[in-house]
Amino acid sequence: MPDKAMGDPGFGVVLATGEAPVFQPGDRVRILVRAPIGHYRVPTYLRGKQGSIEAVIEPPAVDNEEEGFGRNAGSKRHYYRVAIPMTEVWADYVGSPRDGLRIEIFETWLERM
Amino acid sequence: MTDTQHLVSRLPNDIGGLPSETVQRIDHELEPWEKRCHALADVLDFHKIINTEEKRCGVEALGSEMVGKLSYYERWIVAFANILFRKGILTPTELALKMKEVEERWSHVGNDS
Amino acid sequence: MVEPHHDHDHDHEGHDHPHAEIAEAGRPGYYDIMETAVRELLIERKMIRADEIRRQIEVIDSRTPALGAKVVARAWVDPRFKARLLANGRTACEELGISFYDDTELIVLENTPEVHNLIVCTLCSCYPRPVLGLPPDWYKLKPYRARAVSEPRAVLAEFGTEISQDVEIRVSDSTAMVRYLVLPMRPDGTDSYSEQQLADLVTRDAMIGVIPVQLQGE
Repeated sequence: MPDKAMGDPGFGVVLATGEAPVFQPGDRVRILVRAPIGHYRVPTYLRGKQGSIEAVIEPPAVDNEEEGFGRNAGSKRHYYRVAIPMTEVWADYVGSPRDGLRIEIFETWLERM
Repeated sequence: MTDTQHLVSRLPNDIGGLPSETVQRIDHELEPWEKRCHALADVLDFHKIINTEEKRCGVEALGSEMVGKLSYYERWIVAFANILFRKGILTPTELALKMKEVEERWSHVGNDS
Repeated sequence: MVEPHHDHDHDHEGHDHPHAEIAEAGRPGYYDIMETAVRELLIERKMIRADEIRRQIEVIDSRTPALGAKVVARAWVDPRFKARLLANGRTACEELGISFYDDTELIVLENTPEVHNLIVCTLCSCYPRPVLGLPPDWYKLKPYRARAVSEPRAVLAEFGTEISQDVEIRVSDSTAMVRYLVLPMRPDGTDSYSEQQLADLVTRDAMIGVIPVQLQGE
């Protein structure tokens, strides 16, 4: 939805980098495989897993991995509520194939599929 | 086992999906000091002296043995002390002297065994 | 409310209970002393004030599952409030005077005959404190945190909750700025209940999603 990213038509507002969400509900995404040390908020069990964007979380926020080292302000990006099937996360999952996991993931941890 | 990488790359709090025991419905009323510790955490975050994410990071930095053996608010207060030292707000000696002073207020109570 | 008492016989990971040393001889324990020392030093340096701590203790004490129960009961009796609550949990709770002092957002997850929601924080203890108060110890300990995301049906069964295979289970793992509150299903046979009588049925554990709301004595 590029129109939204340009702000309200008629006012000529240009949003700063990161202010407009990169992903929209329904987009298929993969959580990146990455191994930061010291502090992270993407649990190991979800790295590399595929899912879809359920919602864009407002407002945008500072990356909480950086907040962990005292960064309280500065550029912001969005978190997304991501839906992942349990069977995608756990190969031997016991339950209904429709059972799912929901988690907030920071924009820099997601790639479009 | 000579591979130590997992000790660095997987933080001690990152336990989602690991095998564990049956859930026991344990709870307790907070001790007065635990409640004060929680209030202290909130006030430190309000002033961004130690934000919530720094507190989490500080707990993770205690390492798996302390994370496993200290109680919830014990982990918090030790993490606060370490972060305040690192930020140059308190020194280890100042805290040691103050703890001695606090302890001595109670020297008339009970015996020293 | 189902509030099992703390059981000293359980050897559980994390030792999330006060250590026995605290009450012995009426003297504070090591960590109690450390808390007092840190707080007093910060007050002496004028970085925080004693009255801010006292005030925050009052804030914490004022947040209990009774608030969440009022929110749930209101949603059951007022469909327009429910719609606002599901659209934005935080602003709908703020309508009822519940402030979000910890700067979190709130997503309210509605349980239906088709979907059962469960909340957990695998990395620490994220919890909707503004509306439920502080989490119970079991929510912060390893067995629940580790297993709720991998075998939710087995965990629910340990709470006595059996969810049919045709019902979809959604586990929300809170990790960042959003907290979750489960809006449980209103039990049958409560058509004549007042809003307050409905609120009295709603337990903390039902708003975490580990048990349904049941009529008393059921």
